[in-house]
Amino acid sequence: MKYTALCKFDLGSDGRDEAVSELLQLFPFGEKTRHLLAGALEVREQVGATVVHRGIALPHCRSILVDQLSIAVGRSADGIGWPEEKVHTVILFISPVKPNGPEEHAAFLSHIAGRIKEHGDEFASAGSAERLFELLDFQPAKQED
Amino acid sequence: MDKQLEKLISLHDLDVMIADLNRKEIRDKEADMGLKTEGALEELTELREAYCKSISRKWRGLYSQLTRHYGNAVVPALMGRCTGCLTRLPTAVCSDPERNSRVHTCPTCGRIIYWAD
Repeated sequence: MKYTALCKFDLGSDGRDEAVSELLQLFPFGEKTRHLLAGALEVREQVGATVVHRGIALPHCRSILVDQLSIAVGRSADGIGWPEEKVHTVILFISPVKPNGPEEHAAFLSHIAGRIKEHGDEFASAGSAERLFELLDFQPAKQED
Repeated sequence: MDKQLEKLISLHDLDVMIADLNRKEIRDKEADMGLKTEGALEELTELREAYCKSISRKWRGLYSQLTRHYGNAVVPALMGRCTGCLTRLPTAVCSDPERNSRVHTCPTCGRIIYWAD
């Protein structure tokens, strides 16, 4: 599975929309793309907050605006109102829309569900972005020179 | 970006979300993770109706027609080609910095095209 995974270990936002926007800023998307993706993620949140485990939110969608699975992980020591529950770890992901359907999206949901079941309680105590990625079994995106 | 084009892209993503939640495999996975799926489809469908009302009849009609025919009505242009049918798009359109400021369609398949910014 081809993907880009980025991390912001010290999110400054205390609200859901701001945190989503802060994480979207990590990707090299244009402003308009970011705005449309924020809208799609907001729609998903409107039908039900994506808190999947104590302290962990999983905002996600599939979009034609990305060409590969794009993941951004954020951590907040103070917590983010999501909106009624405080979360400390946010795993945002956007899957591409491919002609063969949502197989990749489904596979990633399975992966993330498994990691949360196994290590969800350890996310909050992960001391670094590297450790968090290790728990999630993600390879961080290579930095371009 | 043209407002109608923005809305057509959002409508496409919303339709993908609805189609995903209609798939038992995805719905079960989301429910297993504790995500709300009950009533989600109804809410999204209502939202879709509201979205559709904000799109002009012309583009809404074309969107529906293309979706029925191809399954996807809006596609990105990549390397000067329509990613729906791979037709090379007119150079004058592709090189125009304001290319997203109106709705363009592929001259071959008719799909709605946008350029990633």
